[in-house]
Amino acid sequence: MAESPLEVKEEFAPPVPEEEEGEDLEIPDDLIQESPPTSQQPPTGGGETILFRDRFLVNTGRPLPQFDSPSAKAYDVEDRRDLGYKLFGLVCSPGLSVRGDLIKLFQSEQIQGFLQLIDWGVIDWRHLGQKTMLVIYEQPLGGRVIDRLARKEVKITEYDITRRIIEPLTASLQRLNSFNKVHRNIRPRNIYFLDEEMDEVVFGECVTTPSGHDQPAVYEPLERSMCSPGGRGSGDQFDDVFALGVTLLYLTLGYNPVSKLKPEELIYQRIEHGTYATLCGGARIPLSLLEPFRGMMSDDRVERWGYSEIAKWLDGQTMTPIQKRPAVRAEVPFIFLKKEHFNTKTLTRDFTLSPLEAMKVIREEAFHIWIRRNLNMPELAERIIGLVQSVDHHKDGFQGTDDFLLLRTNMILNPSAPIYYKGMTFMPDGIGSLLASEWLSTGSLQVSSEILRNDICHLWFEAQQSPLPSTNTHKKVLEQLKGIMAIKDIGYGIERVFYELCPSLPCQSPLIAKQYVMEIEGVLPALEEASNHTDTSTKPIDRHVAAFIAAHFKQDIHPHLRAMASPKPETAIIGILSLLALLQWKLKVPSLLGISSWVGGLLGPAIETYHNRQTRRDIEKDIPKLVRQGSLPEIFELIDNAEKRQSDTDGYSEAVQKYADAQHEIDDIEGAGSERLTKAERSGQQAAATISIVITFMVITMLVIAEFW
Amino acid sequence: MAQQRSGAEKKALSIKYWLYGVFVFLILAWISMPSIIFIAGGMIPTFVAWVCDRSKEKYTTFCVGALNLSGVFPYLLSLWTENHSVQAVMDIFGDVFSLSVIYGSAGLGWALFLSLPPVVAAFINVMAQTRLKTLANEQKTLLEDWGPQVPGDAEKLNHKAQ
Repeated sequence: MAESPLEVKEEFAPPVPEEEEGEDLEIPDDLIQESPPTSQQPPTGGGETILFRDRFLVNTGRPLPQFDSPSAKAYDVEDRRDLGYKLFGLVCSPGLSVRGDLIKLFQSEQIQGFLQLIDWGVIDWRHLGQKTMLVIYEQPLGGRVIDRLARKEVKITEYDITRRIIEPLTASLQRLNSFNKVHRNIRPRNIYFLDEEMDEVVFGECVTTPSGHDQPAVYEPLERSMCSPGGRGSGDQFDDVFALGVTLLYLTLGYNPVSKLKPEELIYQRIEHGTYATLCGGARIPLSLLEPFRGMMSDDRVERWGYSEIAKWLDGQTMTPIQKRPAVRAEVPFIFLKKEHFNTKTLTRDFTLSPLEAMKVIREEAFHIWIRRNLNMPELAERIIGLVQSVDHHKDGFQGTDDFLLLRTNMILNPSAPIYYKGMTFMPDGIGSLLASEWLSTGSLQVSSEILRNDICHLWFEAQQSPLPSTNTHKKVLEQLKGIMAIKDIGYGIERVFYELCPSLPCQSPLIAKQYVMEIEGVLPALEEASNHTDTSTKPIDRHVAAFIAAHFKQDIHPHLRAMASPKPETAIIGILSLLALLQWKLKVPSLLGISSWVGGLLGPAIETYHNRQTRRDIEKDIPKLVRQGSLPEIFELIDNAEKRQSDTDGYSEAVQKYADAQHEIDDIEGAGSERLTKAERSGQQAAATISIVITFMVITMLVIAEFW
Repeated sequence: MAQQRSGAEKKALSIKYWLYGVFVFLILAWISMPSIIFIAGGMIPTFVAWVCDRSKEKYTTFCVGALNLSGVFPYLLSLWTENHSVQAVMDIFGDVFSLSVIYGSAGLGWALFLSLPPVVAAFINVMAQTRLKTLANEQKTLLEDWGPQVPGDAEKLNHKAQ
């Protein structure tokens, strides 16, 4: 299951000769090559046909590479209700979370400008030996825009591009934004002609991976491009606008202007000169597009264009040109690992690439002097020195570690840069997918839990000069999750945080991981399936299953979780049974023979909570009958009937009282000894006295009567 | 101090009662001298029993005294109804049969007092053994019905009660 994050590259051909204004856009064939993901290979089929939802036939022997996504392979899908309807299904990588919220939105709303999502669900992908997500789309009959351009089957002039490409695509993104959603998967190869006439352009899928995961770094704003694919974050409309800008630039130019630069060099150049200058500097851009490109590709989030600015530009309004602010540049470079740095931003980037060396350099006086004298930033130097002293002072704990020193130094030197901590680079809104990627790559959540526990995102928010609009929301959510994480009981902890932050991630419990359970409705069927091949002496709810249920089930299950967390095995198993019974009842799941049998076999300690032996025997006799019915609520009712339990408790108290009374009496009788003998003698004497008095009375009475009668 | 005063008061009270007793006795003696002489002579075994009986309850005195009285009463009755004189008292005391009836009944009292307590003790012992058996059976049933933790909880309950 552990897979390293996906890295996708788009290989473009070397720069083509500059084009004259008004010339047709022609894309060379090799421009369209998009390399497959290097580590997260999408699942391939085994050649068979799979029936999905009794309606769709997924033909795994007929891949449709023209619709492939970097992390999801496309296969031909037939609709049995309408054989002429052309569909394709994207089979997602089981190791990546999908964007469940967007899937549901696209299925419920027909949003113009996007491929129509027909259906989705979990499919048994035998080739992988596990279940995975299938998303079915309507086929765009016109194919990829970039393919058509490359094959010269369509011509789009620079005058056409506004009307045929920019206008409809911006409108589509605006429609999506009205649902408070963003695409975050915008690149040239993900734009299609919907119709064969190639009149309507639409965006391709954006649901098979976390936000921005499949994007080559160049389509991501500078900060997000420095993150690992899993930590790029959900983003907002300005991130979509940026990606649209770069996409339009590539379509306009017909080639990749930075194809010769290695990814790290590209980031370095973008930091040094700005993204717009790096991408457009050596290219000949049509004059009419200069302004929107500059606005859309601005590295300053505040200055970057939004949809309103694009709309104004489309209406012909002239926008205020964005002025390039000169970056603070040192006259003398600081040399770190034989590389010259003239500003703090490139330096912090290199610090994250070589953290061990960076930790040493940060403590060196030469570094402080360079900041003070060469950058002319004495305040910054003082803050770094103060930080070093503080770290030295806090010998123990997080604030005394070199990782903290590097983290805070990066935040001081380049506040807007992504957070770097122990090899993970991420934006705060990417903490969810970061958790997922750490779990999927290492099988642990060690670093992610440290990030949450030590309020690292909070430190980043505090370091920002201009707070982001979503800062307060993020802070609030992270604060709540920190509270949840602090509780170590089952159903809480880092696992719960994991599912709260990544609601679309399938349950990672070893019991049901292969069943790809993404929704609460899938938990019981998956456990039912697991009951056939799992050691039934283990509990059917582990930490992951409990956390998944707690995060996805809308009912209050705290009492159940409390019971499950009990150190007493009988309380814990009753907690498990009650939770499963609640799920079966609320979700209206029919008979669950496997789980009933599984849980039934674990109920020994729960049955033993009854004191009365006859009650135990009765329960043991009744369980097999209920197991055969597969009804967990009925088993729970049998095990934990309030009336029966009260009666048992009362009966037991009475029995204890009786036993105690009997024992007390026995002790009295046995312990009396000589005292009892004395008592018996006294009683005998008393009886003798009484008898003699009675006899005397009788004699006197008879004599008196005889005398006077 | 208070104790000393209380002891002195008790002594004064006892003397007072004795004086009353002597006074009543003298009146009775003046009214019925023969009866008094007869009772004094006939009830000697009771007096002996009263002297010997050191117990608080005075069961010996009651046992011997009651049967002694039943031996004395027929003669006392004839004394009252036939010839209430000192001579008649002397005649009764001079008759062996009368004496054997009077003192024999006192002897029966002694016999009863000495023989009954062992019988009663044996009876009580048998009763106790039967009760122990019943209680043990009850406890066994409770253990069978409610499990082996009952004695422990019962012990805790007893401790709590104490």
